[in-house]
Amino acid sequence: MKDIVTIIFRLTLSCLVAGFIMGTFFILTSKAKKHNEHVNEEKVMYSLLGYKDASEIPDSLKFYELYRYVVSGPGGKFIGYLVPTGGGKDGGHSFVSLDLTGKLADIKKVSISSENAMDKDSRDKAIAAALGSGKDILYADKTIIVSENAGRNAYLVTGKFPGFKNFVSVMLALKPDFSVQGLAILEHEEDPGLGAEIEKDYFKNQFIDKSFETLKTLDVVKEPIPEKYLKALENRMQKDEAEKIRRQFKNHDIYALTGATISSRSVTNGVRGIVQKFAYRLNILDTVLKEQKIVVPF
Amino acid sequence: MQLIANGILKENPIFRLALSMCPAVGISTTVMNGLLLGIAVLFVQVCSSVTISMVKNFIHPRIRIPTYTLTIATWVTVIDMVLSAYMPVAYAKMGIFVKLIVAFAIITMRLEMFACKEPVGASFWDGFGMGLGFLIGMMSIGFVRELLGSGAILGYDVLGFKPLLFFILPSAGFFVVGLMMAFFNYIEIFYKRKKGFKA
Amino acid sequence: MNRIRIRLISIIALLCAVVPGLVYGAGFISKQSFGEKNQIKLRFSVQVDKAKVADIHKYTVYEEQDPDILLPIASAKPDPDSKGVSLTFKQVLNTAHTHVVTIKNLDGVSSAVAKVSKSYLGYLISILISALLINNFVFTKYLGLCVFFGTSKRKSTAKGMGVVFTIVMVVSASMSWFFYNYILIPFNLNFLQIVVFIGLVSLTVQAVDTILRKVNPILFNSFGVYLVLVIANCVIIAVPLILANNAYNYYETFMLSLGAGGGFLLALYLMSSVSERMQLAKIPPTFKGLPIAFIVAGQFALAFLGFSGLQIF
Repeated sequence: MKDIVTIIFRLTLSCLVAGFIMGTFFILTSKAKKHNEHVNEEKVMYSLLGYKDASEIPDSLKFYELYRYVVSGPGGKFIGYLVPTGGGKDGGHSFVSLDLTGKLADIKKVSISSENAMDKDSRDKAIAAALGSGKDILYADKTIIVSENAGRNAYLVTGKFPGFKNFVSVMLALKPDFSVQGLAILEHEEDPGLGAEIEKDYFKNQFIDKSFETLKTLDVVKEPIPEKYLKALENRMQKDEAEKIRRQFKNHDIYALTGATISSRSVTNGVRGIVQKFAYRLNILDTVLKEQKIVVPF
Repeated sequence: MQLIANGILKENPIFRLALSMCPAVGISTTVMNGLLLGIAVLFVQVCSSVTISMVKNFIHPRIRIPTYTLTIATWVTVIDMVLSAYMPVAYAKMGIFVKLIVAFAIITMRLEMFACKEPVGASFWDGFGMGLGFLIGMMSIGFVRELLGSGAILGYDVLGFKPLLFFILPSAGFFVVGLMMAFFNYIEIFYKRKKGFKA
Repeated sequence: MNRIRIRLISIIALLCAVVPGLVYGAGFISKQSFGEKNQIKLRFSVQVDKAKVADIHKYTVYEEQDPDILLPIASAKPDPDSKGVSLTFKQVLNTAHTHVVTIKNLDGVSSAVAKVSKSYLGYLISILISALLINNFVFTKYLGLCVFFGTSKRKSTAKGMGVVFTIVMVVSASMSWFFYNYILIPFNLNFLQIVVFIGLVSLTVQAVDTILRKVNPILFNSFGVYLVLVIANCVIIAVPLILANNAYNYYETFMLSLGAGGGFLLALYLMSSVSERMQLAKIPPTFKGLPIAFIVAGQFALAFLGFSGLQIF
């Protein structure tokens, strides 16, 4: 009997000690984790826009986050956008609800700063408080609008689509006319050496400068990349020569990766889907913002 | 120091004791992966050995195994959290293998055979030796696979072309480990023959 | 006795997954499904006017997560018996997503909504097959190798280890699921995953050991010795980690654990069959034992690579 009591006592003690150690480390590391995630995301953003790191960014360049939500309530489903309205030190936001046909349903003011809006929990709470009870909100995605002097330089859009194995997560940089400025692969589970080559420059850079119209009918062609194009894509030739060759292939279909046609196709179809949906939604939002004369800093 | 040499050569966990082979086959596709996982295992091994050795007098003999498991799980969680916070890119490549360190037979066995009997200092060096043996084993497999598979080492293109893509594919891990084991076997037989002649 | 019970339990579980689906189809739209690559087929519970049904403006179709993006319909063809319609779309449908179809103002019914998705049972079976073949834990994911090489010398040991492992796998995965969803997540104790899972595994092994010893000593004598090896198996803790990562529900967990255990049994069986033959072959002394086993396993792994990308449902 005494044996069992000692055993239980010692076991419980060790469990508590273990739990304590793990708890402390968890608290210490979770802050660092969030910070590092943010830093990594910023690195990808800057490289897509063509800057090597944060120090090269001009001061006049500003980043605004536009969050999209799906709101379901007694009146049906709505698409809601958390739009930064600028002005004031608080950096207030507005939550613009649109019905499924694209007409304005509701505008509510949400007071939350841009930093706090980056944290999902505080953002959800602020929006739920502004909308009142009875409405369910579900986070959909986020767009970053890169703006300079109240004009728009680029859009940074993230998206996820199925690849050959599981999902591929990408970030696209789009110019204001919705042509592709850059493509970055964030996550994938493709085979190394085959599907994983979608991360390489000679595949990703084929998407650069493809216009919105070309993207609509973009397909994958199973031919080897011409030697000159390959060199231009991998930045192994003079800048102006590379420009000339890129322009030559601007409206050409995507050359598939050797042994990874399915992965190449999924990326092409995925990019097309993301850009089409984004363009459709942004046009609707812009129309509504103009009609309602909502002032936005971009 | 003899303990370290023991861990690397005579009782190398991967090639001689044939334990904890899961990661050796699965993620030794590059030297960097091997290095990172090796460091994680080294950390867990050393910390667990030292912890168990410090409390060896308090462990009731009937709950030895659960205690070992608890200690190892704690340290694995710690290193898992630290790696995911400070090296997220590398951590993502290793997938769940860092968390799986808890199931490695080698660590439990080492604790059972060594740490619960020996003083803290000896346990530290033994754990270090074992972990180092694992690290070196992983790095050597990674070296062979990376060189032959993608012509690069640590990401730097050495050969400029890809000799045999096959080696990066996960299934080649089996072949490489099997061949390296055979190589170690060969060395051992060779030594035995030499000793046989001398004697 | 144990095996019969397990088969019974698995059949009941499968039925529980199917029956709700059969009961669901009540209301105006009695059945809905995906047709060819870009079609949705609807069946109605009453006869409808063919002309009205063919009007594509009566339908709105969207993918459940994108309710504002309406998919353009190319044509709507009514079925010959006037009790159904086939909607053809301009683009290929992504059948992995649930589609919501709304019909307005058709024959006195102001609006009817139907959700079209791939059969759930098919999804569950695809998880099972994935864990069994495509993502076989031994040959594709390289887990559980230590025990694998230790017990694959003879067919009888292989079978014993495989069966014991499957049982412990299913039981511990279910317990881990309960623990994860009802204790770890609500209390935000996610970082205790590893400790809790391995604790549950040890508990299961201990429980199975005690129960088996008392209930069926004969069975215990043949299988009991493998129980201890289960804890050293990487797969046993990999499955709870996967289910935690993907937030599976209970049926999916059950299928995953069944597939994992089955895959391990399959791998062991294949390996032991070859191993028995190898013992009679002439192998150079440097390769005897583990090296040749590794190389054979490598060839199996290559063969299993052929399953990747398999999609039945």
